[in-house]
Amino acid sequence: MSFSTDNRGSVTRRAALGALAAGAGVMAFWPRIPRSRASIPAGRKVIDYWEKWTGPEGDAVQRIVDRFNSEQSLLWVRRVPVSEIDTKAMVAIGGGDPPDVVGVFSYNVPQYALSGAAIPLDSIGAGATSIRPDWYAPAVARLLSFNGRLIAGVSSLYSLALYYNRSLFAEAGLDPDQPPRTVEELDIAADRLTIRRDGRIERAGLLPNLPLWWPYFWPIMFGGRLYDPVNDRAEFDALESVRAYEWVAGYPRRLGTAESREFGVAYNRSFHSPQDPFISGRVGMIVQGPWLANFINLYRPGLDYGVVPAPVPAGLLDPANPYGLLEADVLIIPRGCKDPEAAFEFVRFTQRRDVQEQLAREHTKSSPLAECSAGFYEGHGNKFVRVFDAITRSANVRILPQTPVWKGYAHLTEGAFDSVWRGEAAAAVCARVQARAQEMIDRSSAVRAKRMVSSEGRRAS
Amino acid sequence: MSAPTEGVRRWREVSLGLAWISPWLVGFGVFLLVPVLLSVYYSLTDYALLDVPVWIGWENYRELLSDALFWKALRNTMVYAVLSVIGSSILSVGLAAMLERPMRGAGLARAIIFLPTLVPVVANCVTWLWLFNPQYGLFNSAMGAAGVQGPNWLGDTRWALPSMVFMGLWVIGSPLLVCGAALKDVPESLYEAASLDGMGARSRLMHVTLPMISPAVLFNAVMSIIWSLQVLAPPMIMTRGGPDGATLTYSMYVYKTAFEFGRMGYASALAWVQVLLTLTLAAGALWIGRKGVFYRAG
Repeated sequence: MSFSTDNRGSVTRRAALGALAAGAGVMAFWPRIPRSRASIPAGRKVIDYWEKWTGPEGDAVQRIVDRFNSEQSLLWVRRVPVSEIDTKAMVAIGGGDPPDVVGVFSYNVPQYALSGAAIPLDSIGAGATSIRPDWYAPAVARLLSFNGRLIAGVSSLYSLALYYNRSLFAEAGLDPDQPPRTVEELDIAADRLTIRRDGRIERAGLLPNLPLWWPYFWPIMFGGRLYDPVNDRAEFDALESVRAYEWVAGYPRRLGTAESREFGVAYNRSFHSPQDPFISGRVGMIVQGPWLANFINLYRPGLDYGVVPAPVPAGLLDPANPYGLLEADVLIIPRGCKDPEAAFEFVRFTQRRDVQEQLAREHTKSSPLAECSAGFYEGHGNKFVRVFDAITRSANVRILPQTPVWKGYAHLTEGAFDSVWRGEAAAAVCARVQARAQEMIDRSSAVRAKRMVSSEGRRAS
Repeated sequence: MSAPTEGVRRWREVSLGLAWISPWLVGFGVFLLVPVLLSVYYSLTDYALLDVPVWIGWENYRELLSDALFWKALRNTMVYAVLSVIGSSILSVGLAAMLERPMRGAGLARAIIFLPTLVPVVANCVTWLWLFNPQYGLFNSAMGAAGVQGPNWLGDTRWALPSMVFMGLWVIGSPLLVCGAALKDVPESLYEAASLDGMGARSRLMHVTLPMISPAVLFNAVMSIIWSLQVLAPPMIMTRGGPDGATLTYSMYVYKTAFEFGRMGYASALAWVQVLLTLTLAAGALWIGRKGVFYRAG
């Protein structure tokens, strides 16, 4: 057997590696336009805008962005849908690589303001190009501001109200035109609407644990504040909170702890779908935001329902000034933003009345502005938008505690709600939350003071 | 020119070796070592990520002692770990022993048992959410058909954590493979000798099979301890830690503290306690293993 030793035509290892390296180099440095930039007209400055909305609500936001992009020729907003946005925004800002505009939540405002992570809007615009707090309804202005500075613009606004199924009311012998206004009436209606079969709840009149998204809402409906900003004190052990949680405890007591929990868990993942407990008629009443109207329009447009402000104890009833909780999705310009002036241009555009009303209509929400245009309510996707509007403008509307530890505090209220549902005494549970929440608040204040002293020391030196 | 001395030659060799592994060294340093060291520092500060850290000494560690959620998360995680380790050890050994016997379809059964390991965790969780649904879930429907009212698996504080453990056992593929490989490695001569000595099936299992595969069982147990102390996604997706904190696991509390409550310093302290706990338990398992595990010579 003979082997050829002729290497002509073969490639050496060095040559092969060299060719590979050269190919990789060409690929790496080949001038190309990323797909995300391909559609951007030449000469426009790009503004990256992180927003949480997806689906039809995201499409509505995109239409606002498209409108901005078409109305001027210097800037180009690129919307980036981002999940868990407050977490990711925090990491991006902390890491020094933030987008230009971020859509976070109103409860983020104090934390961002105190740490200087959001550029106050009143520090950018001036005179005719400014954004002024008096553009907004008073409670909305409070949501967007901290320590007298306007920190954020509003993206969309929501409050909570009671949805009730008129057909089920009629079926249960209740007057659909006389929905409950007080918690006492609410309990009666809830009991009448409830159907039980074989020891299980087949239909619930109302379950305060469905959805369990706002365990802190009930103390507010009983007149509580949750937090005293003047004295920097939590108020979860206030009489209003204890009474609210005692009222909540009445539901598992009447319906059975295990049965009511089972019903709640069964629908935990069905919200905003055709199996949504309210849309599917498995609950007669539910406390929800204005967006539910959107899903009713989508999945069961023929549903005969009504919306009223969430009931309160009889002593608090004030039809002209309903109680409620106001929250908002807000726009901030983060610290480290490449071009705050350009970002401000976009935020300012979104605060224009016609733009705000376009988004509010598409999200079936009320307008956050102090004044609505004459045609705002006509053909609005939410036929009960005036109820939400009344809550927004009410003297009794509350906003969430403006403290940087709110998320931790809110988490405590989730546990408290569960404990009360399980049968623990409301007063003891509220006292426990109060103690821990105050501990977090005190610690946060102490660290803030320490931080201030050290930064003043640095400045002095 | 004189030849390089032994020292110079050795230094050149070391330098060359370091140069070759430098990509890993740089990656390890930048993405692991530095963050780990920083987290030690952050655990001694109040750090909200958005602001500069403020030195507070041992305050975070002191706060842990009075934090009810910390103790609840720790207790839940320990219960989860104990149940998972025991459950997965018994199940993996049992199934491996069953599948190693000559039978038709053993390969297919192994593939089916391994399949859930390949399913993304979110898909697993969503599937199990529906299986556990108290009103429409498969388990309660089947139990209902048998005349038994099923529990509220994820909504009852007594059932929620055991349900999570039960779900975790579904992903038994990897420990099963390890046990299966160990079983294959048991010399046939030992079984023959045991049979000649008059040992029954149970005695062979206790005195031949288990000692021979004990290193694999220990390996599975240590891995299971490490994984169960880090469990995050299932409770996060399925229960958000509820009901009443019954499924709040340690990693979930660390995540929430860091990224939801924005308390990176406190979360770092929590994480270091978790590291120490994991090391202690893993070391404990290995120490026990030294006494109870049989290693073949050679």
